[in-house]
This record gives sequence, C-alpha cells and structure tokens, in this order.
Amino acid sequence: MRTNKIIIIAALIALPFACKDIDSGEKLSPLQPVNQDAGAGSWSPIVLSNYNSQVTVAVPAATNSQTYLDELASIKDAQSKLTSDQRNTIAYWSVGGVLRWNQILRKLVAQFNLAPAPRDDGSYVFPDAENPFADPQFPFANPPYAARAYSYVSVAQFDALKAAWFYKYQFNRPAPYNVDPTIKALVPTSDLPAYPSEDAVLSGVTAEMLKLLFPTAVEEITKLAADQRNAALWSGKASPSDIAAGLALGKAVAGIITAPGTGRFRTDGMGNAIGTPQLWKSLEDNTVAKGEIPWKSLESPARPPMLPNFGKVRAWNMSAAQIVAERPVAPPYTSSEEMQTQLREVKSFANNASREQLAIVHKWADGGGTYTPPGHWNDIAAEYVANARWSEVRMARAFALLNMALHDAAVGCWETKYFYFNPRPSQLDPSIKVKTGLPNFPSYTSGHSTFSGAAAAVLSFLFPANSQQFNDFAREASLSRLYGALHYRVDCEMGLAHGTKIGSYTIGFAIADGAN
Amino acid sequence: MQKQMKPLLLLAVMLCSVFAKGQTLDDGLMMPKKYFCTGFLYTYSQWDKYWEGTLKRDNQNIGTFSSHNIMYVGNYGITDKLNVIAMAPYISNQSNKGTLTGLQGVQDLTIGGKYRLVRKQIGENRLSVFGVATVSTPLSNYTIDLLPMSIGLGSTNLSARGIINFRLKQGWYVNFSPAYTYRGNVALDRNHYFTDGVAYYTNQVRMFDQFSYNVNIGLIKQGLQTELNFYQQNTLGGGDIRRQDMPFVSNRMNASTIGLLVMYYLPAPKYLAFRFSTSYVIDGRNVGQSFSVMGGLLYTIHFTKPTSTVNEN
Repeated sequence: MRTNKIIIIAALIALPFACKDIDSGEKLSPLQPVNQDAGAGSWSPIVLSNYNSQVTVAVPAATNSQTYLDELASIKDAQSKLTSDQRNTIAYWSVGGVLRWNQILRKLVAQFNLAPAPRDDGSYVFPDAENPFADPQFPFANPPYAARAYSYVSVAQFDALKAAWFYKYQFNRPAPYNVDPTIKALVPTSDLPAYPSEDAVLSGVTAEMLKLLFPTAVEEITKLAADQRNAALWSGKASPSDIAAGLALGKAVAGIITAPGTGRFRTDGMGNAIGTPQLWKSLEDNTVAKGEIPWKSLESPARPPMLPNFGKVRAWNMSAAQIVAERPVAPPYTSSEEMQTQLREVKSFANNASREQLAIVHKWADGGGTYTPPGHWNDIAAEYVANARWSEVRMARAFALLNMALHDAAVGCWETKYFYFNPRPSQLDPSIKVKTGLPNFPSYTSGHSTFSGAAAAVLSFLFPANSQQFNDFAREASLSRLYGALHYRVDCEMGLAHGTKIGSYTIGFAIADGAN
Repeated sequence: MQKQMKPLLLLAVMLCSVFAKGQTLDDGLMMPKKYFCTGFLYTYSQWDKYWEGTLKRDNQNIGTFSSHNIMYVGNYGITDKLNVIAMAPYISNQSNKGTLTGLQGVQDLTIGGKYRLVRKQIGENRLSVFGVATVSTPLSNYTIDLLPMSIGLGSTNLSARGIINFRLKQGWYVNFSPAYTYRGNVALDRNHYFTDGVAYYTNQVRMFDQFSYNVNIGLIKQGLQTELNFYQQNTLGGGDIRRQDMPFVSNRMNASTIGLLVMYYLPAPKYLAFRFSTSYVIDGRNVGQSFSVMGGLLYTIHFTKPTSTVNEN
C-alpha cells in the first residue's frame, strides 16, 4: 500500500518538471564562405540589364575621412552597450540574409496559404490586393501564388546582390572590423568589401518585394528588415554608410522589378490569373465539346477553379510558345478502358494504402496552411545551400535558379491542367476518398510531380553529388499523390517528366550565366 | 468460466444500438477485493458544427461527422481500497460529405490505479476521497495528421486525478473530480508544420497539458444509479484552427460537456450491469459539438468464490 502511495506521489511531483519545449528553427550555422565570388558583378542579370547604368551607388568616403571615423565611433558606441536581445539579433542574422529570408518567406506562405471561406449564401469572394486587410485577407498563397512569390523574391535578391558585388569590388572598402582593430567582429570575419552592405541590400530588396506579396504582414517584414541592418552594424560588419548605400541599392532593384505599369512584376499576367465566370464556363464547355467529362469542383459549395489563367503568366526561362510546346500529350480519354484501369489503381490505393504509404502522403502533402510544394523544395534546398559554404551571392543564385524553375513548373503545369480540364479520380468515382485535402483544380498533370521534377533537376545541377537523393525525393513526392488517391498514375508520371523538362530550361540559363 | 464469459461479451458487442461514455476513473465507486468487472462499452457520437478557434461553424465538406467507439473495460479490485482499471477502444471515424477518407483502428490503452485515501462516516453520510493515477499510450501507429478523421492524438499521457465523493444515507451523492494530464509530445510524418503563428522545422509537436474536472450529482438506489454530470476540459496552450484551415493535433481543444448516466445492476444474473449515458458539448474551442450516446454491459466476476457461483448465473 505504502509503495502505491509513493508511486502516486512521485508521479505528481515529477509532472511539472518534465520539459517539453521544442526548437522551432532550422539548424543553421553562421555564414563562412570559402570563396566570396569576387567576379559576381559580371554574372548575367535576370530582370536587370546593366548593374552600372540602372542602379547607381555613390563613391564612398575614404576610410581615413572624418565622416567615416565618426561612423566607426558610432559602431564602437553601439558595441559597448549591446543588450542580450541585440546579441540574439546578431546571431539570428549571422546565418546570412539569403537563408534567413528564404525561411521567413516560407513562414509567410504557410501563414497566408488558406482558401477563402464560403459566404453564408454559398458564394466566394476573392482576396483583393487593393484591400488586403478585408475578409478574405490577401493573399491566398496557394501553390502558383507561392511559386511566383518565391521566384520574385529570389530573383530580386540575386540581381540586387550581383549589383552589390559589382560595386563592392569597384570601391573595395573593407568592413569596419578590418579597418579598425578595436571594433569587435561579432560574426565570422571575411575580406568581402563592405560598401554597399549586402545585408542592407537584402533587407531593402526583400522587404519591398514582400510588402507587395504579403501586404498585411508589413509590420513584421519592416521590423525584420531593420533588425537585419542593425545586426550588420552591431556586429562590426558594416558602417552606417555601407548600410545606407545597400538599402538604397536594394530598394532601387525592387523598384525596377515592381515599377507600376512597367515592372515585370506588374506586367507578367498575374492580374488575370483568376479569370472570369465566363472563362470558367468556357473551360467546361470546351471540354464537353471535345467529348470529355469536364473537371468540376468537389468542394461544397462549389469553388471557382484555382487560377485558371496562371498558365499564361510569364515564365522566367521559357517563352509562352515553349510553355505550349512542352505541354504533355493528352491523358487517356475519360471514357477509355485505359482510364478505367487508372481509376481502379487509384481506388486500390484509396482502400488499401499501407501505413508507410500514408506516411508518404502526409510527408509530401504540403496542402492548405503549409509552405506548399515549392516551399518544401526550398526547405530541402536550404540544407544543401547552408552546408555548401558559398558566398551570399552564390546562395542567392541557388534559390533564384530553383525558384525560377518552380515558377515555370507552376506555369507549365497550370497551362496543362486548364488545357485538358481533366476530372479528379474522386469525381469519376465518388466512392474514392482521399487521404489529404483534395486541391480545387483539374487533375492532369500533378502539380506536386511537376514541381518536384523541376526542382530535382535544378538541385541536381547545383549539387551533382546528391542527384540521386533529389530524384528519389521527387519520385516519392510524385507517387504520394497516387497513394493519397488524389491523382492517377498518368498524372504523376507525365508531371514528373514535364517538370524535369521545364527544369532543363533554367539549367540552360545557369550554364551560361557566368557563375560556373 | 471462460466459456461463461463469451456469450455475455458477444451480447455486449451486439447491444451496439445502445450507447454512452465510459467514465469509471472519475466516479466514487470501487470494486471490492478480488472482484473483476469487465465488459464492452459502445459509444456513438456525432457533430455537424464545430468551433474553428472560437468561431462556431458548419462545414459542408464534412456534413455530419460521426464516430463509433467500442471500448473494452476491465476493473479489478486488488484490495477494497485499490482498484486497477484498463481501457482500450476501437474507433471508426467518418463524415457523410466531402472527399476526405474516414479512419479507423485501435486507439490508446489506458491503465489506471484508483486508491481510496479517505473514507469517513459523517453522521449517517459518508465522505470518500480517492486518488487516481493513469497512463495512456497508443496501441497502434495511427496517423494523427488527418484531423478530424484521425482516431486519436497519439500522445502518451500521465494523469493525476482526485475524487471527492459525498454520499447521503438515502443514496444521493455528489462527486467532484479535478485532474491534471501531462501529455507527451508527438511526432508527425512530416518535418514541417505551421501552428500558432510559428513555422516549425521538425516532426516533433509540443503537446500542452490539460486540466479537467467533472461534477456529478446522482442517486444510487436498489441497483439503479442515475446521474447528471458536467465535464470541463481545458488545454493549457496550443493554437487555434485558423479561418478555413484544418484542425491540428496540438490545437487548444477545450470542451464543456453535460451528460446523463444510468447504470442498472440487473436483478438476474446478479453480476451483470447495464450502463447507459448520453452527453452533449455545450461550449468548446477547436472541437466538434458532439452529441454522444453510450451503452454497454459490464459483468462482475468474484475470484475468491468457487467457479460454481459464476455458473449459477
């Protein structure tokens, strides 16, 4: 009896001491590049055409000028009274802005990746960029929106950093901790010229892009950007004028990309991607005219198809004609025996998928409320990029290449989906129940497969030694959609091959961009 | 004895058209020494409205969610003051609208010890105080990442409960039972999730502990127990379901539930008891507004008596 009492009392005492807190962050180390890529100022621009003429950076004050010495004094003053919060901010940004902003972007996508709720009358209201705080909030960061967002942020960062490198090695002003030995280096040191500050460039260009993509998160974005600039100053890495020049340069590059009426961001066709009720109807009518069963929304109330004109949004490394030319051949007729065979296979997975297959479904689901499949591939890439010990500009290149390919995959896949307007397995056989959320767009081809094929191709180009791993991931991601009863096998196989092909266009750009 | 048990268990399973909610760890009753009470309880519950955070809504892609639960219960009196209780349910969840698959399987094993700390006669009335410690853990590798279809939350829990029971001579009783449940962290099949405003890059999910209590008022007279009860469950942390998002395993799930229990000890055979209960969630957060009915048969075996005693029944 006494023993039982002791056990109960011991359990009661032990409970509050059990520690359950978990770490939310990726394991990232402070940036320590092996090579600073001094020649990156000559690598091909993507949206910009000429770093020298399109964005200008004034000649900096000499390191022995009084102006600059005053700046150094302000750094010393700041360093003499750093709080633990400020030291945490330095540590947070010491992994490099490219990796950190990529992580922040993935978080924003997950935060905004929620479909509008239906109104009481069964209608849906689309998020409005002009009125972002209304219900439903803007944006709905679904996979195409996210793919485009990742690509614009990555490309803008890459172009801005190449411009920064161009000026860094033109002016060659060292970092404050290299000018004055009494300034502490609170991050690993390097011989990268400090003017203009790459951290400030990234803070400026990224914040400007993110404010357009996620306008309601403006407060968070602005604070993070300011933190990044402060961290550069407090760590002894950049002086106030390094930072001011970098911020201006970053904003200028974003300004070129997003210029109202003329910037690529404003004129790439995204504004028409939602389409109109007339368009949605015509997609259905055209499919019926071909003698096929048209896709219909299986949500209740029926939801308009997701971004039916996204296939006409401008791609990065493919022309509109190439997007059409690379479109996969038609799927089997909905009435064909072949389609029945495909449907039976889906049904067998719906009814008999193993626990291991269910785990694969959920590992790659990346549905509503997550960072989407493009985000998953950024997450995968981040680990390899972080371990490569590359310069910031080469890291930016990796994400720019990956995300251009993912965006082009979204364009190519959506063009295919709305060209064929093919029904999901659960539409042809309502007894087929899915193992994760069923996306609200046509079946053929699988978006997950297309994204994964394109991403694996680009990552294999960047990290050839790990190619097998990327291709295994891509195949697993692709098949997860069959196991989950969301797609026919043909959607997955054709999508994966299509993605690989799309990725090859970005690799074609990368081979010739001067960075190899 | 084994032979005698089988038809009764079968009957218990067949009586699936009767319903309720299994609560044996939070009442003021004990099995005497060497008595073993065992049986099956069947619960049917359903909801067509749920709380998305604090917003009560319906969802036409779920329609009506329903759950069938067949639970094995065993309660053995080690001594008159110490009982050991074990429970294990099989659960099947589904909805009648939408495309999402239903899920089913064996859920968690719960094992508890219930110890009577105090038994005091106050005039003709009696005050009893019990301490209960339980541990529960999944019996199968069910997915926790497809709520509301998932059959459980997958955490291994330790729970400490107190029970204060006051019983009048006439058979009226009032019961108050607070409990604290430590919930172990759980693992997803994915390495990224977003909850409560934070993006996590791990498959581990922090599960916040729970505090719950129940108040029961009832009457036990001539083999019939009738009770009204109120259950309050609060999760001490966790995010809300966001607008139009799916539920997540670590959501802050709170519920206020009212219920009715009837337990009848059949005159013949005298070791057989029939249990019926019903409950309804009157307020909640990140949970469905469930209406449940439970029914079951419990059979009591007395191990010290010769087998013939059981056979008499």
